[in-house]
Amino acid sequence: MSDIHVPPRPSLVTKILRLRRGPWENIATILIGLGVVMLMQPYSATAYAYSFITILAGTILFAIVSHFPE
Amino acid sequence: MTELPAQTAFADRVAEAMPSGIGKTVRGLSDKAIAWLFIGPTILLLLAINIFPLIWTIYLSFTNYRANRPNAEVKYVGLDWYHRILGDADVWAAMQTTAHFVIWTIIIETVLGFGLAWLIDKKFRGHALWTTVILIPMMLSPAVVGNFWTFLYQPQSGLFNYAISFVTGIDPSSFQMLGSVRLSPWAIVIVDAWMWTPYVMLICLAGLRSIPDYIYEAAEVDRASPWRQFWSITLPMALPFIMLAVLFRGIENFKMFDMVNLLTGGGPGSTTEVVSITLKRQAFESWRTGYSSALAIILFVTVFGLANIYVKALNRVKQR
Amino acid sequence: MPGLTQAHSVVAPSTASRRIAGALVIVYAIITMIPLLWIIATSFKTPPDSISYPPKVIFTPSLEGYVNLFTTRTRQTPEVIATLPPPTTWYDKLVRSRNMVIAGPSNVIPRFVNSIIIAFGSTFLAVFLGTLAAYGFSRFKVPLKDDLLFFILSTRMMPPIAVAIPIYLMYRELGLSDTKLGMILLYTAVNVSLAVWLLKGFIDEIPREYEEAAMIDGYTRLQAFRKAVLPQAATGIAATAIFCLIFAWNEYAFAVLLTSGTAQTMPPFIPFIIGEGGQDWPAVAAATTLFVIPIFVFTILLRKHLLRGITFGAVRK
Repeated sequence: MSDIHVPPRPSLVTKILRLRRGPWENIATILIGLGVVMLMQPYSATAYAYSFITILAGTILFAIVSHFPE
Repeated sequence: MTELPAQTAFADRVAEAMPSGIGKTVRGLSDKAIAWLFIGPTILLLLAINIFPLIWTIYLSFTNYRANRPNAEVKYVGLDWYHRILGDADVWAAMQTTAHFVIWTIIIETVLGFGLAWLIDKKFRGHALWTTVILIPMMLSPAVVGNFWTFLYQPQSGLFNYAISFVTGIDPSSFQMLGSVRLSPWAIVIVDAWMWTPYVMLICLAGLRSIPDYIYEAAEVDRASPWRQFWSITLPMALPFIMLAVLFRGIENFKMFDMVNLLTGGGPGSTTEVVSITLKRQAFESWRTGYSSALAIILFVTVFGLANIYVKALNRVKQR
Repeated sequence: MPGLTQAHSVVAPSTASRRIAGALVIVYAIITMIPLLWIIATSFKTPPDSISYPPKVIFTPSLEGYVNLFTTRTRQTPEVIATLPPPTTWYDKLVRSRNMVIAGPSNVIPRFVNSIIIAFGSTFLAVFLGTLAAYGFSRFKVPLKDDLLFFILSTRMMPPIAVAIPIYLMYRELGLSDTKLGMILLYTAVNVSLAVWLLKGFIDEIPREYEEAAMIDGYTRLQAFRKAVLPQAATGIAATAIFCLIFAWNEYAFAVLLTSGTAQTMPPFIPFIIGEGGQDWPAVAAATTLFVIPIFVFTILLRKHLLRGITFGAVRK
């Protein structure tokens, strides 16, 4: 029983640190989504002012991380 | 026989050079040359018609150039336009108008589209014919649709107003779908929903049809109620498809121009001024080319970012 | 066994629920068709009938809308008309009954011809370039393939107004403003992205063995492409061509911003068909009817490939 080796499931943090595509793409996606919400929400002028830079950052991040290995 | 090793080695080299091709025939052009010959023209065309103009737009967004004064001195203004736009209450208001339009069209189209797909998936007799009929609106030109809906929305003689008055008893000339501040945003939502619900329906239908029967059979063996089956099988399994439709409609409606331009032109006042209309007014009516280039870049980047997410959703659906 | 038959009865819905589903879908389909049918009906009304209250469902059909669409007319007093030689054709007669005289043909035929030339020209180019590029992407190892494909797709999603600003300036420099060639190039660029993605899907489905067999038989790669791949991809190419045709036929934003006269297509023209005192609705409806009939035909031809077309080839059913 005890000699069956089960590799530990990597935690989210280690997945991110390993520069894998999946979790990083999710971060970029969230950033883009957040930026779009900031751009179109009616509540905060500050959020609106910083929306573009957020979307830009998310888009650039996406372009970079989509070249990470799967 | 002595030639054979050399031949294989050569064939191997060829095969290595183009792993996806076949290294058997090297007569005529090499595969690599063909690949570039085939792809090259498309890339060149897109560079000329899309990328070069894009770079030009980026450059213009840093200047005070005006297209109606081509000979005036062009001054570099840095990030001024971006600061101006991101602090401009009118553009912000246009973004909110766009958001209202995007959110409501997506809600209505998803609910109606998914509902229709669910009904069509029951495969009643003649479903193929009626599906084709339902699809017709989305094939039409948004401009022509916008134009003829202005006719249906005429306060006195329009069919839409008449139908509403017939159902509710309100005087048909007592309300103006396109002229009133309160109603005009909804007038656009209605036309968009009329036109694009079939689009969402078609994609949802593909999602529903991708669910294998055996899952329902298994659920049936487990005595799961139809309600439960819907929430734990149908909806989750169709969700990637629904997301795909929602994202695409979101992107399309974020940049919506044709229909709004013809229905209301942004009016009355600026109640239906979505951001594409603002851009058109700035670029082609006020001729503030620098300013509108900066706004165009903001829209570009937003759509480009969303397109990344869309392609991700596309790949997820593709795996099914 | 009873459990299994019961399972089947749920997977295949009962007759009653099918009937209800069918009825609801048909009701939706009919409601959704009313606006279109109304426009087609309006094209056969007289101007007063078209704006009467309550809206006229039953009316005497008239071709006045179509006559008004194709002609320009001037208003004359009855006395002047009485001095003219008697009308020779039915449309002369129709126009004179409204105290008007036909002054000449309207712009609609040149606009229609523009639409046809630009739509077919750009479709041909886009499908030609798209087939080559799709084959290249499908069969060869191309560096940065995914990036190139994404770039190609993203060009289609760009907001047309944003693209129109630099194109307007560029075309002004190059002398392409308001020319058919300029519009054909622009629509080709927009359509080629769809063509590449759709055709790549179709070509991916053709087994490589076809070309390999042809190449073993002594064909070169190019000959194998022409003799083995193209015939197999014919349906896909036709479907793609119809999609491109529909886009170019329907396009409005570029057309309204970049053309004003000689290269103007139907979509920016139709809303500006005006009669005396505002839009001449029967004429607008007539133009709309003539404009959408090809789309009906295309939709029916495409119905099996629609899903593919609207998802850039990703969902194949």
